Amino acid sequence: MNIVASKKPSTKSLKKFGTYMKDHYLLYIMLLPGLFFLFVYKFLPLYGITIAFKDYSIFAGNNPIDAIAKSEWVGFAHFQRLFRSSAFLKVLANTLIINGYKIIFLFPIPIICAIMLNEIRHRTYKKLAQTAIYVPYFFSWVVVFGIFYSLLGTYGIINNFMASLGIERISFFSDTRVFRGLLVFTEGWKEIGWNTVIYLAAITSIDPTLYEAARVDGASKMRQIWHVTIPGLMPTIVLMLILKVGYILDTGFEQILVFYNSTVYDVADVIQTYVYRMGLGQSDFSLGTALGLFNSVVAFILIVGANAVSKKLLNRSIW
Amino acid sequence: MKKKVNGIALSTSEKVIEIISYIVMGLFALCAILPIMHVVSKSFSSANAVTAGAVIFWPVNIQFETMSYVLRETTFLPALKNTVIVTGLGTLISMVVTITTAYPLSKPGFKGRKVFIMLYIISMVFFGGMIPAYMVVRTLGIIDTYAALILPFFIVHFNMFVVKNYFEGLPESVEESARIDGASDLRILVSIVCPMSKPVLATVAMLYAVNYWNNYFHAMMYTNSTKMQTLQVFIYNTVNNTQTLVERLVIGNYSNVSIDGVIAAVVVLSLIPIVALYPFVQRYMIAGITIGSVKG
Repeated sequence: MNIVASKKPSTKSLKKFGTYMKDHYLLYIMLLPGLFFLFVYKFLPLYGITIAFKDYSIFAGNNPIDAIAKSEWVGFAHFQRLFRSSAFLKVLANTLIINGYKIIFLFPIPIICAIMLNEIRHRTYKKLAQTAIYVPYFFSWVVVFGIFYSLLGTYGIINNFMASLGIERISFFSDTRVFRGLLVFTEGWKEIGWNTVIYLAAITSIDPTLYEAARVDGASKMRQIWHVTIPGLMPTIVLMLILKVGYILDTGFEQILVFYNSTVYDVADVIQTYVYRMGLGQSDFSLGTALGLFNSVVAFILIVGANAVSKKLLNRSIW
Repeated sequence: MKKKVNGIALSTSEKVIEIISYIVMGLFALCAILPIMHVVSKSFSSANAVTAGAVIFWPVNIQFETMSYVLRETTFLPALKNTVIVTGLGTLISMVVTITTAYPLSKPGFKGRKVFIMLYIISMVFFGGMIPAYMVVRTLGIIDTYAALILPFFIVHFNMFVVKNYFEGLPESVEESARIDGASDLRILVSIVCPMSKPVLATVAMLYAVNYWNNYFHAMMYTNSTKMQTLQVFIYNTVNNTQTLVERLVIGNYSNVSIDGVIAAVVVLSLIPIVALYPFVQRYMIAGITIGSVKG
């Protein structure tokens, strides 16, 4: 199959580019809708980044994009304003703390779940458990919010239960001491099942003869897990961890946007929510764009770094 | 994979591991399901039972007034209509664009392939930001239209690369014989490549549909009229504007409908399509993981 595949381009490459175009012009036409999207929604906004370096007024031109060209350059003034504000360090810290908690507390759970699920021999039980745990993955954050609001509201089932035990009611959605915990817990509720299924798929692709050999050598179940299952899962574990760290600035935005309110800004306001409130809420477009650009640059470095690590450790590019 | 129990008797430690697995995974499954049971029960229970906190995981004094209130007296149905249109139209458009982009890029001999792939990778790792994107949407004049809700997911890079990788793995010989018969690239794509790729296309269509259905952020940012409200925005507003809800319930004299019941009913109604499609979703999602993990 590979031989056939590599022969074709070599005979094709003898022809001129023009002939190729003529034969396959349809392939180029097919690309147009996608390229249109790339240009409009991915590359045009790159020009919009200059908003961060201007005193942008949305009504300066015929339309918001035209207004960019007609606004005054101010250099790094908005960045100075941003880096001097106390809000900057706060949202940066919150972003790293919340996502750091999520990695520390949630990352290992699906791996353990997948190993356990794999140990269950009753097929119906296994199938049912597997099906049940990842149902929440398909729920939107708004729905997850609605469900947890129902459970954890001041007169929700959990608070009623605690009150019946004589424990004081907790306002989960506005208490700064528990709000981050709520974010981590609901993230786990929504995502653990799905990640378990990913690891489970990786376990089933481990060569069964390895277990056979381990058993012949008299390895106990625990040793089989330790010496066969975990090494077999390692590439997936490393890849997932690299991705998590690579996207540490970007994850969790929609969740927080839905869950938070002004009483918990101190512990829950992250870079993207701040960009949203400053830029689109208070129309400080330049400051919002400046912070957005800071976020994009750091995210870019992290993701390219993550890819380099992935290539080095796993011989595999993440895209 | 099914594991056969071999002849050797299970040791105590193996039994312990297995029993713990049964218990722990059972608890995880309950953790996922019970909250859903709770909201379903609330949405069918009487107002008194809900406010008294008597509803746990089963309806108390079953009634359908809450459901009928949501369906008749709120903007649930118009919001549902908007979401159905955006999801249907969006998924269709996204699939066409994803397939027509993935196909040329999957051809090893396609001239300019590397440059186009590079464009997609660059736009995947570097994002202009929320505000520049908003300015583009505003300039296009599509604020408060369906187009603004479809544009952000027009093509999701990850999905496109999954399809491209799948296409690359198809045997070249079938296409080759069609080409000898004089079939055009488009014809080969439509009548040979797509039918051969049904599993991956179903998976990706699913991913797009879930994206469109669940999207809250773009809907909130790019729409502002009640007429254009999507389901997610409607649910969010319902949960967050309980004061308005209280007034409406009092004015309308809905004594058997409670605020918490309405919130639960709204959530439950929005989940029906996802739960209904779940067997299908499940089948193709698992297939999708396997496909995705074969080649990154």
